[in-house]
Amino acid sequence: MNTAKQPESDFAVDTSRRNALKRIVTIAGSAIAAPYVITPARAAETLYVNTWGGIWEEAAAAHLFAPFTKETGIQIKTVSPVSFAKLAAQAKTGNYEFDVTTLGGGDIVRANDAGLIEKLDPTLDRTKMAPDQVFQNGVASHAFSTIIAWRKDKYPNGGPQSWADFWDLKKFPGSRCLQSYAARVLPLALLADGVPRDKLYPMDLDRAFTSLDRIKPNIRVWWTQGQQSQQLLRDGEVDAIGIWHSRTIELIQQKQNVDFTWNQGEIDRAYWVVSKGSPRAKLAWRFIQSVVQPDRLARFCVAANYGPLNPKAFEYIKEADARLMPTFPANYKKQFEQDVAKAEPQLADATKRFERWVGR
Amino acid sequence: MITAPAPTQAPIAASRLGRRWLPWMLLAPVLAYLAVFYLVPLAIVMVSSVTDPSLSLGHYRDFFTDSFYLQVLGRTFATSLIVTVSCLLLAYPLAYAMARRQDTLVVAMLTVVALTFWTSFLVRTYAWMVILGNRGPVAAVFRMVGWDPPPEILFTRLSSTLAMVHILMPFMVMALYSVMKKIDPALLKAAQNLGASPGRTFRHVFFPLSAPGVVNGCTMVFILCLGFYVTPVLLGSPREQMLAGLIGRQIEELLDFGEASTMAVILLLATLGLVAIYNRFVGIDKLWG
Repeated sequence: MNTAKQPESDFAVDTSRRNALKRIVTIAGSAIAAPYVITPARAAETLYVNTWGGIWEEAAAAHLFAPFTKETGIQIKTVSPVSFAKLAAQAKTGNYEFDVTTLGGGDIVRANDAGLIEKLDPTLDRTKMAPDQVFQNGVASHAFSTIIAWRKDKYPNGGPQSWADFWDLKKFPGSRCLQSYAARVLPLALLADGVPRDKLYPMDLDRAFTSLDRIKPNIRVWWTQGQQSQQLLRDGEVDAIGIWHSRTIELIQQKQNVDFTWNQGEIDRAYWVVSKGSPRAKLAWRFIQSVVQPDRLARFCVAANYGPLNPKAFEYIKEADARLMPTFPANYKKQFEQDVAKAEPQLADATKRFERWVGR
Repeated sequence: MITAPAPTQAPIAASRLGRRWLPWMLLAPVLAYLAVFYLVPLAIVMVSSVTDPSLSLGHYRDFFTDSFYLQVLGRTFATSLIVTVSCLLLAYPLAYAMARRQDTLVVAMLTVVALTFWTSFLVRTYAWMVILGNRGPVAAVFRMVGWDPPPEILFTRLSSTLAMVHILMPFMVMALYSVMKKIDPALLKAAQNLGASPGRTFRHVFFPLSAPGVVNGCTMVFILCLGFYVTPVLLGSPREQMLAGLIGRQIEELLDFGEASTMAVILLLATLGLVAIYNRFVGIDKLWG
């Protein structure tokens, strides 16, 4: 072609200049857009994990994420807080803010039924896991418990020792706080009303709400996030609270004026799951495989005060540490586990009713 | 639009064409941005309010036949009204003082208002949590005068209203100040010359002239308040949530995108209705001074 033979012609110079300009614009543009756009090349080596923040994330970063990155070179980026709604939105829109998350027992059944999580990877190596560790396409990681905690300055002779005590505003006058979460609160309301532990499910919803009515005037606020529940207790905004054991133990370790009981603690299991349709699902399963290994899980649980759901993990835990865990035998027998399979069919209606009940 | 006089039209047809399209070309980037990031998502919300989970107007029927939702909607309007009136009562004297003075104090007051405006509202909300909390200065004062334990202020309607008034105050002050500043002082002097008392001068001269600022400020604050989310959720009573908070819970806890979309559309329509009324009686272009 003419222009090829005469590279010095105006036209050729013009083209190359234009190309150079184009290149500069492209480079500048991608540099500006880089933090906002996940390019395929980067996606291959980064996994986005949804975390609970606070002590949870600190422990996970040190004992779960760091060893995984060291082993595989895959970077972990975290997104907080854990949001079931985001998990649902991700499956719907195909935009992934995170690939992996942990869900409690009630939520995993709900998520699995609604097709919000990936099917279990058949290549998952289960030889080092407990038989019941795989459940509803998730892998059980650790147990946490909703226990009764209180301010010692408010109740110097000891706080409520059962949910019936917690509900007893004559014996323990003062303000209360519970999690804004029907699946966890309704069984507690039934226990407070005298329903035995083994008769909780299926839940008698009318009875549960009547029971909740009794305590409602004293509930100043319903907590929605772990850190918020800690702050409410630490600053004395509430006198007694249904709160996760791990958050309470952290407060006690910080020498805050609070105490708690394992009595009638409500144990919940956390499961690792992969967000439905995630482009990084393969990596996500590799990550899950890595973080439920007994030794890593043990170190994570010690750091964050959770109870490992892989019994082999206890081989790596000192007894002094194990005593702070809800799955330690002496603690475990004082508490109860949720029957998530039986509760699940009730949860959609119960949650709807609970939301309205709170708002009235 | 500028219409050129008839005789000069023919010779400069080309530039006239340019002039006609120039405003659109200047507007194109922002229009494209709004279309992609505002109109399209908004359309999705509107569509999902009648299609999620199935094609029907059921969500709207549910909303308007359910006393719970209507109560929340009513409360949202009532709260916005209280906040607007409180803002007006507090901002009017401040704006008046600022507009009538000429000294450095005005600069100081303007700076304080602007600083409030520039501080993130999330920070301001958390600041109120600290101030009104059990370990905060307000509780300390109550304890000092022997009121122990102090009254619970946090997580009540009072605390959320207080914070919303604080957060929205700058809008009201700015709206009032910009109008008051333009009032000719000679008019007030004339009124007094004609024998009007200061009170009368204010009632018959100053206040009517400042009325556009009052209407602007009130409209802006009321509309902003209708959609408030974070502040009532964090500071307010769980029993007195506003509509935006309910929408959030609807998505977060119930995954009910259809119903949440319906509420969002209703809130939007209520807001647009107010804007339409404002436009009919005042003119939307006046909102920006």
